[in-house]
Amino acid sequence: MKLISAQNISYKINEKMLFHNLSLEVCSGQGLHIKGGNGSGKSTLLKILLKITSVSKGLIEYKNQDLKISYLGHKNAIKNYLTPAQNLQLLFEDVSLTNAFGWLEKLDLYQVQDELTANLSFGQQKKLALIRVLAKSSELIVLDEPFVGLDKAASELLNSFFLQKLSEGTGLILTSHIQPSVECQVVKLDKTNV
Amino acid sequence: MFRLIKIESSKLFYKLKSWLGPMLIMILVLTAFPLSIDISQFDLEKFYFSIIVVSLLMTSFLATEGMFEEDFEDGSLEQEYLVEQDFYKVVLSKIFVYVCFIGVPIAFIGAIFSFANGVAIGNFINVFVSLSLSNLLLFNLFAFGNALSINKGAMLGVLTTLPLALPVIILLGTAIRSIQYGNGFLEIISLMIGMGFLISAIMPLIISTTLKTHID
Repeated sequence: MKLISAQNISYKINEKMLFHNLSLEVCSGQGLHIKGGNGSGKSTLLKILLKITSVSKGLIEYKNQDLKISYLGHKNAIKNYLTPAQNLQLLFEDVSLTNAFGWLEKLDLYQVQDELTANLSFGQQKKLALIRVLAKSSELIVLDEPFVGLDKAASELLNSFFLQKLSEGTGLILTSHIQPSVECQVVKLDKTNV
Repeated sequence: MFRLIKIESSKLFYKLKSWLGPMLIMILVLTAFPLSIDISQFDLEKFYFSIIVVSLLMTSFLATEGMFEEDFEDGSLEQEYLVEQDFYKVVLSKIFVYVCFIGVPIAFIGAIFSFANGVAIGNFINVFVSLSLSNLLLFNLFAFGNALSINKGAMLGVLTTLPLALPVIILLGTAIRSIQYGNGFLEIISLMIGMGFLISAIMPLIISTTLKTHID
């Protein structure tokens, strides 16, 4: 089942064409790995697919209007003046909160759950931010450089999470300079897309 | 909407500087000003309201600084956009929480100080309502300023919207005079309530469009 499709999309910023007539689609249980150098438009493409950024030309279609999407961009969207536990309480309720605390333990953050997030290391903050995606039930997961800052164990955990979600029929779109261990279609953003 | 109000309340509760700061500044100005000038009680009672009005303007100005900036910087705005598909409810709930948790207490402090400086106890509620409504209008205006210059230091935008606050100040001044002289208060307060409803409905629309432009 097709979750999201982009048809002939183009995006221009400050007279610079980032990509032109790009088409792609992601179905249930399918992964899409967007590759490209710095400034090639990977993050912008993700935001366009999420309809956060308006496309210059082309069409983005979702399976339905209520498609459940989990997203983590290059900004962590966590509050530094709160503790990890308080951050999770802001994001989750009831069962999903219990699930989120489970992830806190799996990612070795349980012992720092009552410390200020501002005092955590970059990697720990990244792990905390990822819980937003890991503990949420969704049909499509969209991640911008999810492996940056993660240690080997956390990266392996993330890869096995991807594997499990793909087998459950969730779609996955990610940008990464690090190759994920799950099988994905690849879209490479370079001068051939312009 | 309830979810957003709950989130915004929790965030503000933990940001001690954002809500306690404006209140302390209000108390400080209202206490320090009469102490710092040599003036008779009679003269002080005549212009003490002007000090309350200026303090109100200053504290609402301070309270709204960084209203959207932090969420923009840490990526929370993008996340909210993904859930809500626009910013209207986000802005509405944020302004509501700021007015309830900062605006109303500031108005209460202002009303207490005006009572301590000669306003009859019977007029306490009138002063409190006038100041609260002024804060509702000011918070909406300054929130717009904050959203305007979110990526250039939010204070700059708040400063640019300062002239828009002048009609609110004039209106508040009229309300205060009507309280002091005991006539026309109902008409003024009705006008302020009407403006409050109008601005609270329209301003979040303008602010949400501004925020969308910024994350675009």
